[in-house]
Amino acid sequence: MQEYLLSLLIFTPLLAAVIALFIPSTFIQAFRFLAMMATLIQVVFIWQLVTAYEPSASLQFVEQKSWITLDLGAWGTLQAQYFLGIDGLNITFVCLTVAIMIIATISSWRITKNVKGYFILVLILNAAIVGTFSALDFLLFYLFFEFMLLPMFFLIGIWGGPRREYASIKFFLYTLLGSILILIVLIGLYISVLDPEHSPKVVHTFNMLHMTHPENFISGSIFDPENPWMIGTINARAWAFLLLFIGFAIKLPMVPLHTWLPDAHVEAPTPVSVILAALLLKIGGYGLMRIAFPIFPEAALTFSWLVGLLGVVSIIYGALNAMASKDLKRLIAYSSVSHMGFVLLGLASLTTEGVTGAIYQMFSHGIIAALLFLIAGVLSDRTHDRMIDHYSGLATRMPSYFAIVLIGFFASMGLPGFSGFIAEILVFLGAFKSNTTNGLIHESLAVISTLGLILGAGYYLWAIQRMFFGPLHLKGEATIEQLVPLSYREYLMLIPLCFAAFFFGIYPQMILNWINPFTEGFVNIVVETGKRLTPNL
Amino acid sequence: MLYLAAFLFSIGIIIVMVKRNAIMVLLGIELMLNASNLNFVAFNQQHGQQSDGHIFALFVIIVAVCEAAVGLAIVLRVYKYYNTSVPDEIADLKG
Amino acid sequence: MEKKLFDALVFLTLLAPLVSFFTLCCLPRNYIKIILSASIFLMLISTLSALVLLFNFWNGAIIPIHLNWFSIGTNSFTADLALSNRSLVMLALVAFISLLVHVFSIGYMGGDRDLKRYFAMLGFFTFCMQGIVLSDNLLLLFMFWELVGFSSYLLIGHRTIRPEAGRAAKKAFLLNRIGDAGFMVGLMMIWAIYETFSLTQILSTSTVHPWQTAASLCIFCGVIGKSAQFPLFTWLPDAMEGPTPVSALIHAATMVAAGVYLLVRLFHIFTEDALLVVAVTGMITTLIGAMAALSQHDIKKILAYSTISQLGLMVLAIGMGILDAALLHLFTHAFFKACLFLSAGLVTHSLHKAQKGQQHFDVQDIRNMGGLRKKMPTAFIAFLLSGASLAGIPFFSGFLSKEAILIALYMHNNILSWLMLVVIVSVSFLTVLYTFRMIWFIFFGEGRVIKPLKIEEPSWIMRLPVLILAFCSLWFLVSRNPFDFKGWMLTNENHHSDLLWITFISILWIVAAVLVSWYAFRKNPFKTHHILRKSFYIDEGLTAFFGTVTRISSRTTAFIDRSWIDKTIHGLVYAQVVVAHFTGWIDHVFVDGTVNGVARLAGLGGKITRSFQGGNIQLYIFWALFAIIIFIIWTLN
Repeated sequence: MQEYLLSLLIFTPLLAAVIALFIPSTFIQAFRFLAMMATLIQVVFIWQLVTAYEPSASLQFVEQKSWITLDLGAWGTLQAQYFLGIDGLNITFVCLTVAIMIIATISSWRITKNVKGYFILVLILNAAIVGTFSALDFLLFYLFFEFMLLPMFFLIGIWGGPRREYASIKFFLYTLLGSILILIVLIGLYISVLDPEHSPKVVHTFNMLHMTHPENFISGSIFDPENPWMIGTINARAWAFLLLFIGFAIKLPMVPLHTWLPDAHVEAPTPVSVILAALLLKIGGYGLMRIAFPIFPEAALTFSWLVGLLGVVSIIYGALNAMASKDLKRLIAYSSVSHMGFVLLGLASLTTEGVTGAIYQMFSHGIIAALLFLIAGVLSDRTHDRMIDHYSGLATRMPSYFAIVLIGFFASMGLPGFSGFIAEILVFLGAFKSNTTNGLIHESLAVISTLGLILGAGYYLWAIQRMFFGPLHLKGEATIEQLVPLSYREYLMLIPLCFAAFFFGIYPQMILNWINPFTEGFVNIVVETGKRLTPNL
Repeated sequence: MLYLAAFLFSIGIIIVMVKRNAIMVLLGIELMLNASNLNFVAFNQQHGQQSDGHIFALFVIIVAVCEAAVGLAIVLRVYKYYNTSVPDEIADLKG
Repeated sequence: MEKKLFDALVFLTLLAPLVSFFTLCCLPRNYIKIILSASIFLMLISTLSALVLLFNFWNGAIIPIHLNWFSIGTNSFTADLALSNRSLVMLALVAFISLLVHVFSIGYMGGDRDLKRYFAMLGFFTFCMQGIVLSDNLLLLFMFWELVGFSSYLLIGHRTIRPEAGRAAKKAFLLNRIGDAGFMVGLMMIWAIYETFSLTQILSTSTVHPWQTAASLCIFCGVIGKSAQFPLFTWLPDAMEGPTPVSALIHAATMVAAGVYLLVRLFHIFTEDALLVVAVTGMITTLIGAMAALSQHDIKKILAYSTISQLGLMVLAIGMGILDAALLHLFTHAFFKACLFLSAGLVTHSLHKAQKGQQHFDVQDIRNMGGLRKKMPTAFIAFLLSGASLAGIPFFSGFLSKEAILIALYMHNNILSWLMLVVIVSVSFLTVLYTFRMIWFIFFGEGRVIKPLKIEEPSWIMRLPVLILAFCSLWFLVSRNPFDFKGWMLTNENHHSDLLWITFISILWIVAAVLVSWYAFRKNPFKTHHILRKSFYIDEGLTAFFGTVTRISSRTTAFIDRSWIDKTIHGLVYAQVVVAHFTGWIDHVFVDGTVNGVARLAGLGGKITRSFQGGNIQLYIFWALFAIIIFIIWTLN
């Protein structure tokens, strides 16, 4: 069973979704418990995975089965594999996915519209996310990557708020654009890369690990490092990097490709927002680390200034926009944009600290963003009104909610003791050190991005001041009677997240044990291979 | 004589094309047959050592008689069945 | 054995307040007695162990405590704790004052709805403050540094019902955060220079890196924020929205002094240029603070500006390289300023109680008070003693610590030090003026607005801590000889205490100041100048500037988002739709048209050929004839 853990993780929710198809749609409770069961079974699997995982740079729990093998005669052989594996990078995210899925399932208890369809879509989404994080074959990755899109589209488009159609189509178009850019590179890589295991035979492969080795590229092919095809002033590999970067940056999201995010979040129901913010955004950063950077290292080195710069722009631009938002969910969405900017900045530095910080930031943001969207959900469940200006003096009416909001907001603004702080400080240290160690990005980027800290404190504190301080007073249609205390179900979601944000801020070593071996290997490979290949650029 | 035959043939063919009544059409056909008989006779007169043309003309007359008898009988039946002897009005088989 | 005991005591001092925080968090909010006793008990443990540490390990060889926190690659981040004489003193000071404030708060905060949150946060604050004192790792120190800001935020905003409390709390945290962003940059530079955050290692490095000035100035930014230095001091007067015991503990005695402590701790990495900036900042702050204090009407605001001024004095001293005297002043200042705040708390608490059911007035405005000497003798004595210490009158601790700074400055003997000396002397004159202005206004003369009220002194649980603190503002806290600041704390040979003529002159100077204040403020001249009252409008200027900049830029980005990016996206989508319509039109007209045209052509052909078979026999014959004729013509040709 050990060797099939990843497949089990992926197919448990799919199986549950299939079972759900055969249950009549009037059995509403059945779907809830079925989804819960599926995620709990996933917890059992992830527990075995985590306990059996040994922190090292190598891949573990590898499943490599041939999936599609097509003999194309003179065109060589097309080979796509069912190739899953876990290393220090994706174990964090797989764990995060399972944890967030439990929270999202609990949070979905309140969904009453077409429960059957909803839970089936959530289960499919669950499987697709786990699959995306664990796939090591580019085609498989892309398959899962696209597979996430559709459930998300319907989840926003059917169960969303008043402008759901606009939001879901915007989300869909943006992400599809990104996918197409990735697809272009995928095809190019397929043409260029050979499987060294079948060496004299021409076997084209989608294996990501083979793609990271420059010697596996067919000489003279489009992405061959030795034989650059110039398109404009930069070569095809640089273009490929840029395409991948844009494709994943849309998902991340990065300014100026971010405007789908606020709309999608504002319209999406709470659990979908949670999944979107906590997991889907991470796939952008994960893709950069798994695909864009290791496969095109010399382009990554060349364009790291761009990545870093856009990261800083995202940090500040997102924070300023958050300050201007009147809707609590929109504020949180923009704060996500700001926080994901740190991922780009840390990644661009290509120092151990910076990359570790970037991964840690994604993990930490997964926890904190989930917490924040649940916080916003608490309010909109009660009053269906998320306008910050419509509330005042909530602290007197809902003291425990106030306490959780304080934890959530301060954790998000990077207060020490919460996981965001560790991530941000590591990113800062790495980004600042980058110029002296590998000369990639200038110190000023790190210095400017500290402005994000101040602005972050600014918008959160301003929101707290307006919503929680002063005499109790509501504007709009909400009434004070609607503001009932938190229910046990809500505590069940909020308290573990608060605790996790706190725990990983105090004791980061647990996650760092996993990340460290990966980061060291990653930084070495990207920087060394990149420097070796740079003269060809 | 050949001119007469050509004239008769032309009249016959015009009758066949123009007249709507089946009997008149039959008459036109008779005219054309007789015109051809005239031709047979005339050509035999000019070229023939034997009297093939004459005999042919006789055959034709006999055939014409038979044909007229059968044709008229059909027209009679048609008239009885459809109350008309104009072929254009009998359009049962037309798709 | 000794080491184990030592470690245990250190952890007890550090963690007992944290235990208090967690216990209180878990207790239900209506178990008030348990909440109070638990928190007092744990603070007592912390204080006792801190005192035991202080007495047993003073001047002793102290081994640091190594704790691994986390590691990245080859770099490990430690959570080491290190103790020195300075940190022992700070530990005891923080624990002791915190305990007294806890006790005082039982009376002061009685009946508050959120008593649990209040005491929990006090405990949390104490823990974080002790953390700053103890940590030997700059990153850990920064963590605690920010966390005290967080607890200060919650305690300032304790009365959530007041919108002003929210505003003041936000302002305090934001201005601190601005300073901390600078601190963060400093951390990055330190990391880039030394590759470690361990203070022991950083301070033992002797080479000067080109970034060192920048790094130390960035760290000084954090100090500017936390210790309320120019230009970020404006949060401190606003922070007086918090309950008075909180002001006493956090915004007078401990947290704001953390900046000074940090400067002392990191003094070795400061370069000459950086120290000059530090000294000048301190000078500006102390002047502005003293002048603003002289012009306030709110008792807590006077004390707040006085705190700013005194902190400026300490920072100035450190900028001039006078560490021990600055720390001594921090020590004495903590006691007398906490005492001043708490006795002000006694006064406002009594007035607030007496005011109930009567006409409403501002209980913190000294213009409303007067003649409280007889009605509240305890508060009067405590205020007088600690005020005298603040003013620097002989036989009080403040006199000795100021003297230490003055004499050390005098020994420097260069232009800068003379300038600073002049500033300190004039500030101490101003200090005497505003201190006695308060005393005259509050305790002497006739009661003004408060005259008809029946005023009672608060209970002993509030008066006792105040009296203890007042007692601690006397000279013996520093040394046995009331005119010699060389005592148990200041033993350094570099400090000359034998310059009697300086002592003599300063005594004369202070007496003159007291006389001036008597002459100037005895007869209630309430008028003060608005520029001074508003402390040169620095607050308004900063708020207006930063507020406008942020507002404009956030609106701009929102506009860019809505108008440019979204419009571009919409434009692209519309363009796509238009193209789609166009291709649709092409499809309809051309492609479909061609297909339909072919079909129509075939139809036409069909129609034409069909027209030959109209069922008209004569027509058939005609065509047959026609064909035959054509055939004949063709064959004949």
